[in-house]
Amino acid sequence: MSDAHDHEPQSFISRYVFSFDHKTIGKQYLILAMTMAVVGGLLAMLIRLQLGWPGTQWPILGSIMPTGMASGVMTPEFYVSLFTMHGTIMVFFVLSLAPVSGFGNLLIPMQIGARDMAFPFLNMLSFWTVVPGAIIIIASFFVTGGAAAAGWTAYPPLSAVQSAIPGSQMGQTLWIIGMVFFIAAFTMGGLNFVVTILNLRTKGLSMMRLPLTTWAQFVVGILGLLSFPALTAGGILLLFDRHAGTSFFLPSGIYVADQLLPNQGGTPLLWQHLFWFLGHPEVYIIMLPAMGFCSDILATFSRRPIFGYRSMVYAITAIGTLSFLVWGHHMFISGMSPFLGSVFVTTTLAIAIPSAVKVFNWLSTLWGARIRFTTPMLFALAIVSLFVTGGLTGIFLGTNAVDIQLHDTYFVVAHFHFIMAGAGLFGALAASYYWFPKMYGRMMSEKLGKVHFWFTFLTYYGTFFPMHYLGISGMMRRIYDPNVYQYLQPLQPVNTFITICAFILGAAQIIFVINFFWSMFKGKKAEANPWESNTLEWSTPVPPGHGNWKGDLPTVYRWPYDYSKPGVKEDHVPQWTAPVGVEAKS
Amino acid sequence: MEANSAPHSRSVQGLMMAAAIWGIVFVSVAFFFKWGMPELASNRGGLDSLYYVILGITGVAYIVVQLLLGFYIWKYSDRPGAEGVYWHDSHKMEVGWTVGTAAILIPIVMIGLRLWSGVFSPPPPNAVEVEVVGAQFQWDMRYPGPDGVFGRVRPELISLENLLGVDPDDPASADDFSLTNQLVLPVDRPVVLHLRSKDMQHSFFLPQHRVKQDLQPGMNIQTWFIPTELGEYEIACAELCGLGHYRMRGFLTVMEPDAFENWLVEQQQAAAGR
Repeated sequence: MSDAHDHEPQSFISRYVFSFDHKTIGKQYLILAMTMAVVGGLLAMLIRLQLGWPGTQWPILGSIMPTGMASGVMTPEFYVSLFTMHGTIMVFFVLSLAPVSGFGNLLIPMQIGARDMAFPFLNMLSFWTVVPGAIIIIASFFVTGGAAAAGWTAYPPLSAVQSAIPGSQMGQTLWIIGMVFFIAAFTMGGLNFVVTILNLRTKGLSMMRLPLTTWAQFVVGILGLLSFPALTAGGILLLFDRHAGTSFFLPSGIYVADQLLPNQGGTPLLWQHLFWFLGHPEVYIIMLPAMGFCSDILATFSRRPIFGYRSMVYAITAIGTLSFLVWGHHMFISGMSPFLGSVFVTTTLAIAIPSAVKVFNWLSTLWGARIRFTTPMLFALAIVSLFVTGGLTGIFLGTNAVDIQLHDTYFVVAHFHFIMAGAGLFGALAASYYWFPKMYGRMMSEKLGKVHFWFTFLTYYGTFFPMHYLGISGMMRRIYDPNVYQYLQPLQPVNTFITICAFILGAAQIIFVINFFWSMFKGKKAEANPWESNTLEWSTPVPPGHGNWKGDLPTVYRWPYDYSKPGVKEDHVPQWTAPVGVEAKS
Repeated sequence: MEANSAPHSRSVQGLMMAAAIWGIVFVSVAFFFKWGMPELASNRGGLDSLYYVILGITGVAYIVVQLLLGFYIWKYSDRPGAEGVYWHDSHKMEVGWTVGTAAILIPIVMIGLRLWSGVFSPPPPNAVEVEVVGAQFQWDMRYPGPDGVFGRVRPELISLENLLGVDPDDPASADDFSLTNQLVLPVDRPVVLHLRSKDMQHSFFLPQHRVKQDLQPGMNIQTWFIPTELGEYEIACAELCGLGHYRMRGFLTVMEPDAFENWLVEQQQAAAGR
């Protein structure tokens, strides 16, 4: 072991602010993601307020937001900014930061028996690069014209032409700059993940003995490294189009605000290709860690080995690889060659196969189990249910012929809130309850946790499942007032119901925040291995110091899923336990 | 450990979870009988058939898997004297559900590809041709007139009097006429829409006709279909195009062929009189 990690207590700044310790950095990411989730969640509440009771006057909100809700009625341009920023903040600054940067940093070194990440300085730099990104993104609400308003996908010309919509002024520029900071940070993180997992595994820990959480983070690191640069490139080209007079995404003949633009030669389809080349792997960057948490938590509280470990690893790898070949399914009706559309159908439905394998393996893990219904387990079980729902609706959208009708409707909104947002959110929550003792040496309150779970699970279905009906009935996404259309007017009661569920869902998260911060100081003191789990992070002292283990690093003797092993007295045999019972004799 | 020493409270959570999942399945499936696709009004019924095939397959999968999940949660909740099963691998089962899933998906892909190539096949002859131009936040529909040729367009000519920038020097443009937010078509005759955008991306959406096609500035994109029902329909924009996206609404009127011919003549006369 290296002496560099065994230093004396440090100053407040080097310990809590510019810390090199992966656990502190992980916690910093989590707190940042939680803060951003509050912002993104409040935006969602405003979106639902408008859709629940379109055009209603709310004088109090008018005085809080004099521009966006002048005289208490939401303006259409503010509504567009709201869903643009809700999507951006949630996808990148919450669902990527919490499960990947947060729990990835917290867990990888402890699960592989390392003292820290391979590049601790880079790790610290990565966090402090994402912070300005987050600040810039939030600041964009306060500039002239308001925050970006071209959707989280930022399709040009809307995002490229400043006169196209108020949010396309300063707001869109700040959006791009904020995203560039985010991507730079995320790329550093991905590099760190891959190098750390490949090089710093402790003695006895082969790749096929890694917990599925770490396997997922490994593939996510590779996905991030290979896909994000496409968006960096796209973002910089878009910045040039906006401010330097280039025409990467702008063809000739665009006539906006009574003016003919001088651009020529570009095409907005290029942006869609660049965006979705990142955008689709990004979906799996969010989902894979959640699937990893789900697998590990299911095994622990089922007191059963995860079923089909090897096929789970293959499935994660297959999903990661295929995720680079499916981006065109976001563009079936974009005007892209219909022949390409046919290719992307095939690759897209192929990705359903490893996804189905994962579900069947989870179900088989539950078979013959002895389930302990702790809060993290309830969230993990919910992930399985949400994933089944969201995965199946993906078959509709992945089939190009059916996508014609459903594309850009609420069916899509329902689909990705189940599969991506659902997995990401429930994954992060499950992980928070499960690994809280590793973070703060205390347990979160189970009572509050269960109340939080039940409100969250039921209202999550209540909020997002009815969106399928809206989409099938033809309600488009991103519309400020569906009642403009006669054929959508009968759907208003569904929208109002969704809004009420969404408000409860939002309010229920306050319980979590209270539990999190209360337990940090007042929670029950945790034992070293409170859940009787097998993975290596539970062998560290409580709470683990800088360097994770006192003395030598642990040696690994087995895979992480020896629960209820026959011939062994205990119902679980941790990875750091030398051969016991029958094993030792053979 | 202490937290897990009360089997009674655990089984309550398990029972609640199983009941919740079963309840969700029941309620969510029931409402599919209340809300469905808008009534079909075009020849694109094949897309609906495939939709219902997928709805059937995924519906069965949804019900079976969720009910099984609920059942396992209830059955295998920790109880005194229970033993966990160590069995965790079955090559046969892994191959089984890989091949099984693929076997269900392959026909869906095949049918989908066939329908897709039908949608994008060359339009039948004798089709009505209309140019649809999207702009913030309206639809302009241009008919080519008796010569069947659209006059040339030059964006630099766009003005309040000449919304589409049609070039008056092109003889083909003399008999063209256009309408804002109004599309008129004859029933049971193929129609080819030539879609282009003056500014942003838009998406031309006819919910009852199963027609949705994006408009891209700089591109001319074609789509064709056959309206099969008379009546008035709403045209929607399905791609975010600005702050007025939600009100970019048009109307489609589908007429008897005779009425349509009369309407064309009237419009041409009105255009010639201008």
